[in-house]
Amino acid sequence: MTNTILYRAGLPTSVGITLIGLWQILSIVGAINPIMIPSPWDIAIAFSELVTRGYFWQATWFTLQETLYGFAIGVTLGLIIGALTGTFPMFRTAIYPFVIAFQNTPRVALAPIFLTWFGFGMTSKVVMAAVICFFPVVINTVAGMASVGDNAKMLFRSLGASRAQTFFRLTLPGASEIAFAGIKTALTLALLGAIVAEFVGGSVGLGVLIKELNFQLEVAKGFAVVLFLAVIGLTLYGLIELLERYLITWKHD
Amino acid sequence: MSLISNTAATGETISLAGVSKTYMTAKGPLPVLRDINLDIKAGEFVSFVGPSGCGKSTLLKIIAGLVSYDTGTVEVGGEAPREGREDIGFMLQQSVLMPWLNVSKNVELPFAISGRRNGNTPKRVAELLDLVGLTPVAKLNPWELSGGMQQRVALARALALDPGIMLMDEPFSALDEFKREFLNIEVAQMADKLGKTTLLVTHSISEAVLMSDHIIALGANPGRVVGEIKVDLERPRRTNMVGSARFQEISNEVRVALAADLEGVQ
Repeated sequence: MTNTILYRAGLPTSVGITLIGLWQILSIVGAINPIMIPSPWDIAIAFSELVTRGYFWQATWFTLQETLYGFAIGVTLGLIIGALTGTFPMFRTAIYPFVIAFQNTPRVALAPIFLTWFGFGMTSKVVMAAVICFFPVVINTVAGMASVGDNAKMLFRSLGASRAQTFFRLTLPGASEIAFAGIKTALTLALLGAIVAEFVGGSVGLGVLIKELNFQLEVAKGFAVVLFLAVIGLTLYGLIELLERYLITWKHD
Repeated sequence: MSLISNTAATGETISLAGVSKTYMTAKGPLPVLRDINLDIKAGEFVSFVGPSGCGKSTLLKIIAGLVSYDTGTVEVGGEAPREGREDIGFMLQQSVLMPWLNVSKNVELPFAISGRRNGNTPKRVAELLDLVGLTPVAKLNPWELSGGMQQRVALARALALDPGIMLMDEPFSALDEFKREFLNIEVAQMADKLGKTTLLVTHSISEAVLMSDHIIALGANPGRVVGEIKVDLERPRRTNMVGSARFQEISNEVRVALAADLEGVQ
């Protein structure tokens, strides 16, 4: 019974509907201050207004671009540095302590500095997104490469495999499952980085829009943008999961 | 059968003279092998039995060229050992299959790595899968197979380049006893039929007796030869030989050789 689709999809849906209904009722009876928390209905109305505005879609497109460029740059660099770290012990000794040190620094603190360096345009947001999503990729790539077993390495030696053969036929596919988990985290973080950088200073973007709407006390519209960001985040995650299923066919539960 | 006839690779000889090996560890030097002398004839099936710490795995890796040795001489098929020789097939306790390759692609791996993949390879892979009884599962993924079947894939992979020498490092020890005995017999018969020189490391005395022509008993700390027992059971070997009087006698000889050494230590 606990495995049916009706149960697994129906239960969370009814919990969601109940909570939203409760929220709506509390708003109607005046138990919730609409300036602080607008009712679900007001948020829906606000959203339906937003989608008719050009600036909303311009902001969406801008933030998406920042996120995806940052993601692409961060992941590419992360994979390269991770592969070098996992391959060359000297590189690891020289570089990895810094990676770990930076990993434990709250990287969003760099956003104001990037703003000074790269200005109010898209670049400072792309850099922030790239920096924030670089680290999980490096760390997971290194961990993935380390997860390749000694027995498999010995087998490849006994087969007379060259370094390149061992890398492409063993290390790379062997590391990809764990490395890809880092890439998935990176996508979520890239969106976070772009929004935070927009908060710190920018002229276009969903983060900028949220700030401005809050300023104008358009709280319902602000909520609508936040929910829209949640939808963007979920969609991106869904797409990357599809890509993972396509690339890592041997992952099984 | 084409597997035997299409290449010249019959068994090769292996000889070790005065071989010693000491590992350098954080706690100081750890001698693992001392003065090992062995002469293994072409096509012979030899098992190495002994307690943990007797260096039996290290011995196999020295012959495979995967580990260096300090003193003595080693000749494998008339040459010094070297890793990546195509005339050596290596099998480990774990099957070490690549999860991203299906069964037949796993068996094909040695062809791909050695650069010997050609138009004839798919036919050879099919023959190998047939030999180990895996034809019906050729397109399945490794994780869809039982432990015993995974080890058969590893066996087919080790046999892929038709090596003159098979080195097996406890390949059956992760299997349950029923599957184990079944595979013991099959591998023993296969080694017979293919005429390969086969070296098996095991800590099971009955497995060693069931499969081998010769058993080398090794003592521990450092590893050294404490007994050489000839197994004169008829071939082909069969499961029901385990109950025979001769089987018990030989097993006891091995046990006595190992026990005498242990008592000597205490």
